Amino acid sequence: MTEMENIAIADQVDHSSHPNTFLTKYVWSQDHKVIAIQYSITAIAVGLIALILSGIMRLQLGFPNEFSFIDPSSYLQFVTMHGMIMVIYLLTALLLGGFGNYLIPLMIGARDMVFPYLNMLSYWTYLLSVMVLVSSFFVSGGPTGAGWTLYPPQAILSGTPGADAGILLMLISLVIFIVAFTMGGLNYVSTILQARAKGMTLMRMPLTIWGIFVATILGLLAFPALLVSAIMMIFDKVVGTSFFMPAILSLGETLDHSGGSPILFQHLFWFFGHPEVYIVALPAFGMVSDVIAVHARKNIFGYRMMVWAIIAIGGLSFVVWAHHMYVSGMNPYFGFFFATTTLIIAIPTALKVYNWLLTLWRGNIHLTVPMLFAIGFIFTFTHGGLTGLMLGNVIIDLPLSDTYFVVAHFHMVMGVSPIMVLFAAIYHWFPLFTGRFLNNKLGKFHFWGTFLGTYAIYLPMHYLGFLGVPRRYFAMGETDFIPESAQTLNAGITVSAIIVGLVQLIFIANVIWSTFKGKKSGRNPWQATSLEWQTAQFPPGHGNWGEKVPQVHRWAYDYSVPQVKDDFIPQNFSPEEVEYLVSEQNNTQEKK
Amino acid sequence: MQIFKTLQIKPWLPQELEQEQETNLFPSVLNRDKAATTALKFFLAVVSVIFLLFTITFLQRTQSFDFQALSGEPWLPFTNADILLQNSTYLLVASISIILARKFAELENFKGVIILLTATSLFTLLFIGGQVQVWQQLNQSGFYIYANPANSYYFLLTGMHALHIIAGVLVFIRCIWHFLLDLSYQRLASRLKLCALYWHFLLFIWLFLFFLLTSDTETFKTIALFCGF
Ligand code: HEM
Ligand SMILES: [Cu+2]
Repeated sequence: MTEMENIAIADQVDHSSHPNTFLTKYVWSQDHKVIAIQYSITAIAVGLIALILSGIMRLQLGFPNEFSFIDPSSYLQFVTMHGMIMVIYLLTALLLGGFGNYLIPLMIGARDMVFPYLNMLSYWTYLLSVMVLVSSFFVSGGPTGAGWTLYPPQAILSGTPGADAGILLMLISLVIFIVAFTMGGLNYVSTILQARAKGMTLMRMPLTIWGIFVATILGLLAFPALLVSAIMMIFDKVVGTSFFMPAILSLGETLDHSGGSPILFQHLFWFFGHPEVYIVALPAFGMVSDVIAVHARKNIFGYRMMVWAIIAIGGLSFVVWAHHMYVSGMNPYFGFFFATTTLIIAIPTALKVYNWLLTLWRGNIHLTVPMLFAIGFIFTFTHGGLTGLMLGNVIIDLPLSDTYFVVAHFHMVMGVSPIMVLFAAIYHWFPLFTGRFLNNKLGKFHFWGTFLGTYAIYLPMHYLGFLGVPRRYFAMGETDFIPESAQTLNAGITVSAIIVGLVQLIFIANVIWSTFKGKKSGRNPWQATSLEWQTAQFPPGHGNWGEKVPQVHRWAYDYSVPQVKDDFIPQNFSPEEVEYLVSEQNNTQEKK
Repeated sequence: MQIFKTLQIKPWLPQELEQEQETNLFPSVLNRDKAATTALKFFLAVVSVIFLLFTITFLQRTQSFDFQALSGEPWLPFTNADILLQNSTYLLVASISIILARKFAELENFKGVIILLTATSLFTLLFIGGQVQVWQQLNQSGFYIYANPANSYYFLLTGMHALHIIAGVLVFIRCIWHFLLDLSYQRLASRLKLCALYWHFLLFIWLFLFFLLTSDTETFKTIALFCGF
């Protein structure tokens, strides 16, 4: 070992890698903060495309046949691209590539990720996957319309929109995305395990880091299932194998396939797909816990339980996948097994909800914009979770499967809820990114518009589902069992959706304006204890910590400590510094 | 299990602080090697999951009516699998020479290092070449990739394996390149340690695939029965 390598990586100030040109600083950057911003901007940009697609679908559903540019095929294409972009290219990328990248090194007291170069590659590979995906809008036949679940055989048969170039580009883009995610994910877990500052034991890590950590492990183990199914489907499509393709008659023609199993694809897809829900949810759980603790000035209720719950949910999420396949004709005993595991996973999840509520209980609640979004999240998540409990039971799922009840459920639980947390997180950490606050008035407007608006969209959808309105339908046509009034409801939902979409533009405008003109926040504006707010330079510069990395002396939740000045103790304050805070407090009291 | 102890710590109690520091590692004094080892182990877990999932789908498919195993009858290609055995030997030799290369790096023996690094590259490439040859032979004798699920899986699995080997070779070349630039034996040795782990892992995967892909119908029946397909 050379001298250099035995010094903590954390303490090596690597001058050679200090970026100084515009290109190395902002484009080919290896700084985790810049990479995080690149990830976030890209994710939000594709997310906006997905939002526009949802608006177009809603126009068709609310006002059928008014808009000639939407036909049944393009409707299916929009559904598919909307779903896939939202789940993978927006939420996964923004939560892990964006927030994971930004927060991990800062919250655990590291100078950067352990493999900065790999981290940079991860972003550029992700960008490539996004470009491949978006390019499918411009090929002949357009993007795939197979639904975001891409079930074969229909996904690759003519008759489904985009069954030639579209589906291939989708599959290739997914493969590239998984490569990018794996590069990033290896970095996140190694950094968390090997580059924590002195004193930052695992059980002193903020819950944000726990959530990101376990979610990354889930991603590393679950994305392979998607990779495997994508590769096998590419083979079926391109070289004519029959992994998933049974003997089949398509448009009057016998195809060369035989013996493959479409159900096998469903198993593989959901073996990825269910953990994916938690890949999105766990980082959100972590971040919302920290936002709630800071803005309620309370230590998080049941920290240990929260960590255990994150781990338990992570483990259980691998044994519930077939609850998405109750209608695939599975053996009833399988259904029983998967219904049971699904209901069991509700226990740690409910525990987390209770702990958030108990953290708020008698807290010193500051109704800041991040806190509003966090509380909004508790509502939407509880709501979506309860309908999840219903759908987890085979007997309830059978009639509701493939109706708008399902659409309402998953939008509440994995659409709106993580988005709520993302907004909470953006409002909360924006001062750290830029040194400025987001505008408060616009923020409150954004919150109420989004919160009430999404309820106006999704609550009625539950009802439509009960009526039997099917999912992924371009139009209902002549249908006896669905009353006229359902159409009125649909029109109302569309109006709400358009309003919610427009409210997001206000948010974007707020971000752009505040980045340059927002109110200066000063250091640690929320008086948080965790390390990311305690950097030498604010906002943190390259290398994060200046000359010396911090040493950690306590957990991240010392809020409302009565004896000290300012009611909180940062994680890196040594016992001497705490004594100083106590004496300061005594001084001020004597003066009074 | 350390992890269960760790998870029981109550970080909010001051008296547990000291204790906690003892029962927990402080990674800040660790170096890049440790981090790289962690990353590699996670990567191997990822690759294992990939091959595990392929294998499960394969085993299920072996029981379908149209599955024709690639060995068992005289006219089937792997009833006599000598050429695959030969390829296995190449990979085995490469895995051993990479260990020796590391030993020589520790002894700071330039000649030995160069010879063994060359040997490793050579035998690994021989393995790839041998695999390509098998693919060509299969194609020539009509065992096309789409003709039968057994063929499809043969190409798929060996292809995925070869891709992983090629990725390894690229990293390996980068190690050699770095060594030629800085001539640091310690760094070479620690890098070779990781390469060796990867090579052995891929050797293990290959032997597993070898067994799997050259089994005959009877063996598959037994395995499938055992796994409950
Ligand atoms: C204002 C926001 C949103 C609106 C108005 C909206 C609207 C819609 C609509 C109309 C559909 C098609 C329903 C159908 O015809 O079956 C849909 C499907 C879907 N949405 Fe959203 N959505 C929004 C946000 C999100 C978010 C944030 C996510 C992230 C998880 C998401 C994930 C999905 C998925 C996975 C599908 C299913 C696609 C499929 O069936 O293949 N959506 N959404
Ligand atoms: Cu699920």
